[in-house]
Amino acid sequence: MSDDGDLPWRFSADQGLEDQLFDRDRHIRYLEMNYHLLPSPYEGQEIIRLTLAYFTISGLHILDALDRVDREAVINWVLSLQAHPKNEAELNNGQFYGFHGSRSSQFKSLDNGVSVPNNSHLASTYCALAILKTVGYDFSLIDFSSILKSMKNLQQPDGSFMPIHTGAETDLRFVYCAAVISSLLDDWSGMDKEKAKNYILSCQSYDGGFGLIPGQESHGGATYCAVASLRLMGLIEDDLVSRCTSSSIIDVPLLLDWCLQRQADDGGFQGRPNKISDTCYAFWVGGVLRILGANNFIDEITLRKFLLTCQSEYGGFSKFPGQLPDPYHSYYGFTAFSMLQETGLNSFNVELGISTVTL
Amino acid sequence: MDSDEDDRIPLSQRPEWSDVTPVPQDDGPNPVVPISYSKEFAETMGYVRAVYLADERSHRALQLTAEAIHFNAGNYTVWQFRRLILEALNADLHDELEFVEHLASKNSKNYQLWHHRRWVAEKLGTEAAGRELEFTKKIFVNDAKNYHAWSHRQWVLQTLGGWEDELAYCDELLEDDIFNNSAWNQVSYAVKAILTKPENESSWRYLRGLYKNSMPSFVMDRRVSTVCLTVLTTKANCVFALSLLLDLLSNGFEPNQELKNAVEALLPESRDQDSDMAVTICSVLEIVDPMRVNYWRWRKKSLHSEVEEGVRNLRVH
Repeated sequence: MSDDGDLPWRFSADQGLEDQLFDRDRHIRYLEMNYHLLPSPYEGQEIIRLTLAYFTISGLHILDALDRVDREAVINWVLSLQAHPKNEAELNNGQFYGFHGSRSSQFKSLDNGVSVPNNSHLASTYCALAILKTVGYDFSLIDFSSILKSMKNLQQPDGSFMPIHTGAETDLRFVYCAAVISSLLDDWSGMDKEKAKNYILSCQSYDGGFGLIPGQESHGGATYCAVASLRLMGLIEDDLVSRCTSSSIIDVPLLLDWCLQRQADDGGFQGRPNKISDTCYAFWVGGVLRILGANNFIDEITLRKFLLTCQSEYGGFSKFPGQLPDPYHSYYGFTAFSMLQETGLNSFNVELGISTVTL
Repeated sequence: MDSDEDDRIPLSQRPEWSDVTPVPQDDGPNPVVPISYSKEFAETMGYVRAVYLADERSHRALQLTAEAIHFNAGNYTVWQFRRLILEALNADLHDELEFVEHLASKNSKNYQLWHHRRWVAEKLGTEAAGRELEFTKKIFVNDAKNYHAWSHRQWVLQTLGGWEDELAYCDELLEDDIFNNSAWNQVSYAVKAILTKPENESSWRYLRGLYKNSMPSFVMDRRVSTVCLTVLTTKANCVFALSLLLDLLSNGFEPNQELKNAVEALLPESRDQDSDMAVTICSVLEIVDPMRVNYWRWRKKSLHSEVEEGVRNLRVH
């Protein structure tokens, strides 16, 4: 073997971290294991089981291993979680008719006259549609109009979205969910884009990043939700950094500088200044930079090095180096590597949060 | 929770639940990502389904929601049902604050917990303001940057009161005149923070943010260039000082010789120096902030359009 230190596949007697590779096979096995059965500690996340499914199935798609999935079973299970209004009157009763995150929020009413409200959730709805899109389900087969008609009920006067009509926190996460749902269904009748835009803009902080709610500290995840939503709504252009025009509804130079400073000395990305690097921000912040057209300003070599220290021997990725993997950080580790154009991985649509490579 | 698990009596063996038949989960024929539920979890959720479907808003149902929440603190359906029960029972919400506080130690980043806390506080009204601020302080002891706690604090001050007058006053001052006394203090405060820890990005961003709506003040306030000069000459971490100086130059700031010397001292090879100080600064940044070398190169190339834009902004004012 030549002693060329630049070759990424050089082997040495003791495999130091510099020689570590992205272990695609091991990651596929990790996802397959999750796909078939999640161990009991995951009952603490039972309510978001559909989200765990999204991480697993979309993850397999990114790793170009979607053949491991029983497409029909997935479609049937996901569709079984949809909330259906019984009639026109029910559709207009103010509830949101989307998808439930799991059976824990989905109740079949007994014949005792007690009406059971549906607890379908905006984030679960996004995950459901993302999974269906991923496995190539033909959206024209089903009428999704009840989702869009009832989604309007969730939008607040200030433009933000509540995820469930029975009451919950309202913030940028759910504005993003509404925008990406509208985008996947290619129908914007379910939300007032102008109001949503104003809410998003009110979340941009003095330092260029976005907080989750107006007045809050800039945060990597919130910034992704803001920028991805604006992009999906067509309110900011692609590749803003290359365009010399400074007119944009957001302060792009300040945002750019804030995002780039989130790459820490260890190469990983942090969610806020002075916090430690965490795998998932390679997606949240890295994704924003990609949307802005500034991904070449990232130090990809040291980012890769950091991410590989979070790669688990069990497959998947952990939040911090040397910890156990979890579905969430694993998924965002995979998306980060896709953005780094890792061999063997499918390309990834940052704003939609899925790979749009067709099967 | 291990010791609790040993003490837990199955619901099927509790006399007060003998009249209820749990409703099992129907996952369908080909479930995806099934979870290997423990028997305790499955049993609890079976009874939750039963009382939920019967819409039973009783004390035992309230206790059951607490057990379900301990298993899955993110279960918003159970939290919401708990709120309905609390209302139906006209429960003492001060006890509810205790319940949330007890859970918070292990669930301080749980959105449903914080939403529930807000719901309770809102019901209690302004009398709860003090306790809510104390609650966030307790969270900060273990996690000074807890995002939820900061949001809650902000909400308490805005909604339950305590800050409206002061905030309005500050807003007014900053809008009218950055050189006003209290605003003056704000800049001094930021400068002091910078000099104490020049490597802390937050203080630099805060200082810059104070001038967000007053570009001329930003350029004309000598304290800004002075703090940059001080940090550059003490050879402390200078990335943010250089970045701020670049910002100043882009907005029409005219540097004096002292500043020019300080910057040039960082680039000993005089051939790398440029008559345009902004170009020199970018060259230095390429060296002292190598992680973002491509960004600083791009900034260098974009300098002309940046300066034109900045000077245009100045003229408008």
